[in-house]
Amino acid sequence: MAKKLSLGIKLMVVAGLMLSACSLAAAPAEAPAVVPATEVSLVSMETSVAPASPDINDPATLSGMVITAGSSTVFPLSEVMAERFKEEGFRGEVTIDSIGTGAGFERFCVTGETDISNASRKIKDSELEKCKAINRNPIQFRVGTDALAVVVSSENDFLTDVTVAELGKIFSSSTVKWSDVRPEWPNEDILRFSPGTDSGTFDYFVEAVLGPNFKNADGKADLEAAKADILGSSNIQFSEDDNVLVQGVEGSKYAIGYFGFAYYMENQAALKAVSLEGVSPDMVTAEDGTYKLARPLFIYSDASIIKSKPEVAGFISFYLTYVNDEIQSVGYFPASQAALDEAKAALAEALK
Amino acid sequence: MGENHAPVFIANLVSRNRSERIWKNLLQISTLIGIIFLIVLLLNIINQSFGYVAIGYRVPPAKLVGPGQTLENLDIPQLAGILRQRVSPGLLKQLENDTPLEQFSQVNLVNLVMAKIAKPEVVKTWSFWQSLSMREEIKQEVGQLPETRLVFFSWVRPDLVSNSQSSNPLIAGVRTALLGSLWIILIAIMVAFPLGVGTAIYLEEYAGDNHISKVIRTNINNLAGVPSIIYGMLGLAVFVRNLAQLTSGAWLGFSSPETANGRTIVSAGLTLALLVLPLIIINAREAIKSVPDTLRQASYGIGATRWQTIWHHVLPNSIPGILTGTILAISRALGESAPLVVIGASTYITVDPANVFSRFTALPIQIYQWTSRPQAEFRNLAAGAILVLLTLLLSINAAAIVLRNRYKRY
Amino acid sequence: MIPSQTKLIDEKVTSQLLKKRNRLGERFIESTLVFCGFISIFITLGIVFELGKEALPFFSSTDFKLIKFLTGTTWQPQIKLFGVLPLVMATLTTTVIALLIAIPFGIGIAIYLSEYASVKLRSTIKPTLEILAGIPTVVYGYFALSFVTPFLRVLFGKDVVEIYNTASAGIVMGILILPLIASMSEDALAAVPRSLREAAYGLGATKIETTYRVVIPAAISGLAAAIIVGISRAIGETMIVALAAGAGPKFTFNPFQGAETMTGHIVRVSGGDLSYDSIDYNSLFGISLLLFFMTLSLNMLSQWVVRKLSEVK
Repeated sequence: MAKKLSLGIKLMVVAGLMLSACSLAAAPAEAPAVVPATEVSLVSMETSVAPASPDINDPATLSGMVITAGSSTVFPLSEVMAERFKEEGFRGEVTIDSIGTGAGFERFCVTGETDISNASRKIKDSELEKCKAINRNPIQFRVGTDALAVVVSSENDFLTDVTVAELGKIFSSSTVKWSDVRPEWPNEDILRFSPGTDSGTFDYFVEAVLGPNFKNADGKADLEAAKADILGSSNIQFSEDDNVLVQGVEGSKYAIGYFGFAYYMENQAALKAVSLEGVSPDMVTAEDGTYKLARPLFIYSDASIIKSKPEVAGFISFYLTYVNDEIQSVGYFPASQAALDEAKAALAEALK
Repeated sequence: MGENHAPVFIANLVSRNRSERIWKNLLQISTLIGIIFLIVLLLNIINQSFGYVAIGYRVPPAKLVGPGQTLENLDIPQLAGILRQRVSPGLLKQLENDTPLEQFSQVNLVNLVMAKIAKPEVVKTWSFWQSLSMREEIKQEVGQLPETRLVFFSWVRPDLVSNSQSSNPLIAGVRTALLGSLWIILIAIMVAFPLGVGTAIYLEEYAGDNHISKVIRTNINNLAGVPSIIYGMLGLAVFVRNLAQLTSGAWLGFSSPETANGRTIVSAGLTLALLVLPLIIINAREAIKSVPDTLRQASYGIGATRWQTIWHHVLPNSIPGILTGTILAISRALGESAPLVVIGASTYITVDPANVFSRFTALPIQIYQWTSRPQAEFRNLAAGAILVLLTLLLSINAAAIVLRNRYKRY
Repeated sequence: MIPSQTKLIDEKVTSQLLKKRNRLGERFIESTLVFCGFISIFITLGIVFELGKEALPFFSSTDFKLIKFLTGTTWQPQIKLFGVLPLVMATLTTTVIALLIAIPFGIGIAIYLSEYASVKLRSTIKPTLEILAGIPTVVYGYFALSFVTPFLRVLFGKDVVEIYNTASAGIVMGILILPLIASMSEDALAAVPRSLREAAYGLGATKIETTYRVVIPAAISGLAAAIIVGISRAIGETMIVALAAGAGPKFTFNPFQGAETMTGHIVRVSGGDLSYDSIDYNSLFGISLLLFFMTLSLNMLSQWVVRKLSEVK
């Protein structure tokens, strides 16, 4: 019995070695470039509609890989768009890594491994520099609007409305208890929940809410000081994982947090959105800007990529055409038609 | 023993016997609690994997048809008309690729309308326990929701294994993750098995009892205790960053964009290989050690060389033990997620891995990501995926036990 | 061989056959195996070297002060606060809670199995518990979040127990290392010679007296090693704390509050992907190095304990 087994295992070892050798040798053959011409004609005979030239307006004529990475806020939107894109005949694949806006630009501008960068804020100058260094010129496409929901637990009975200044105080290191912000609020520790420092949401919040409290010598907002203020505050938890925030805020009467409106929509039963200076977030207030924490959502790409990879151009074109069909089911608000038209014009310009 | 000691002894005996009973009970209870932990853990997962689901629609089917009609009653031209009117031109073209809609069967058209227009969505989910205990309340609650139906749903669906990831939990599956896991394990074992068995043979058959071999032995025991996340950091620094040329396949001419800068299957496989190597070595050593020395003496006695003895006598007799250890290593690698998160598994990927230089996701990573989605239904889906993973692990472990019992000789 | 036959064989041929030959194959195989043996040394050196190399920019940066690193109570690399204590505290809290669960139950189970249970019962329960040890840790994390935390919150009140807390993570971690400790301890107890027990019974000792006075002292090195290995496992455990313990470094002694452990911090920060050569990236390697040496010294300790205590015996 053992002898048979040992024979088996020897075979396995040998086969394993051969396999590893073969997989190395065979690997390049799997690359599309080396497919013999005869096979190409066979393939095209089978799928009778195989197109001669890729048309960016027809997903069915496109194939290849569209590599995207970036904001976890944009992720659910891109995911739905990618699924629809494939449903309409795209023969390649779209991958989306949800890693945060900053890390997304890192992959787009430094290592240059992604085709599209999802972002929940505008690209920073420092990131633009890095992009230029590897010969990429980011083009910005506006895809929608997200209202940042400031949320408390549904058990919270004292907080319904704050001013932006108060919000800044709530997330400041100089404040510990609720009563430090408004005397009539409870004398309890504030439990803060914030998206991670790599996320566009965090950057946006710091800039919009805490920034105005910190001026540097030239009277501009000192974002580094503002960042230090929120990072140094007590009882604060950070997570790239928005669900951690949802559950954290949901868990305590004295908790407060902020994140994309979509996550609030999914958890309306347990959370309560706080209105800002009397304005609560909805489609109208987000678009006309009366809700103070509405921010644009973008995808970024580069002209040379768009030109050389028709599947990327096709995906962006498809994204811009159909994004408004899906955006509300994901939990965001549509961008204005003008913004979308501008994005389409930018795409047309890049394709020239 | 003096006579006056006897009553004391007997009195003591009673309390000694009592404490004996108490301790026995305590020990029994602690064993029982250990088993209860296991049962609760499994029940908790099963509880989340089955239960009522309220399903609504993006566009309720009733809105698509006239009053008093249902989709099933409509004829082919009517259904085709609905599709033409509501579906985007690209999709329509895709559907009519071979045959026009009018030539589809009526059932197919109804399914198409449901899938592409009505789009079933999860409204709310209940656990198994809730579904049993609050049945009436749930029915009442769903009865008040418009255009919503209540179904008893098993999140462990047949297509959970065959479907790829999706934003819709009703159809999302673990196919890509499962394939990723298998590829990673294949690489890990192909690297760690020969190295591990080789090390074990060296330590048991060649290295004497000198200082160097003592150092190596201590070192292997230490490596077995290094947290998996440290291996992840090592893999990140070495395979993903320093050897990116190698692990992205660029040295083989893989300049295609789907290689992810070292964040590939081969990096993950090599990292897990390092992780399971000490496990394989330790088990293989035990197995080789248990081969009786008489067997070796006999082999040497008839003139076999050292390697001939090892290859023809020691290895065949220790193979069951080595394989058991390897299988346990496989199950360890299958369940690891922390090092893969550190290395950088993909978040959304629906394409099956084409070769070892593809981006990847793995089954435990998929579970981790689903637990962290905002929608509660993804946690049910995660529970379903956990059951898939556990089934896989249990069958692998069962194989190890069977193997051990069947071939155990020494 | 039969002596009569030996004579038939030419002396020359025999000596030729028996001469030590220079077998290239054997040499090659041996050197390959020696290489395999040294691989493990390379890995260890690799870990120390790579972690050290990547952590060096962190340890040598001007903002880094060793005293602050070891005694500071705030960890926020982005604003140059590098006090590692909150992370270490959280790791210790979860580990201590885990041990409070795992040691009594684990050793209790081991004693029951080795001293009281029938052979049949033992051969059923031991593999069953080993299943517990084989369940992926992400499943345990899920269990902590979906069962233990809500349970604690019902028990102690929602105002006391935060949704992410080290207690829940610690308890579940205890369940995770329980079978490890039970299994290793059982092996140690079972290795105590039967004659020792027979002698104690012969003197009239009860079973539990025999266990405490004779068996446990004899097996103490194995039990200690089991506990130390359990500690080392608990310190390095990642997914449970990542899912259930909380996501922000916080210096607290309260197990019902959220706090982030060393491993939890590494996996959260690297999960969001890192900028190369940023202070975040390098500081993670600093933490990893600390973690590596913590577990390494525990493992060394356990091996030393086994050796020392078995010498005493």
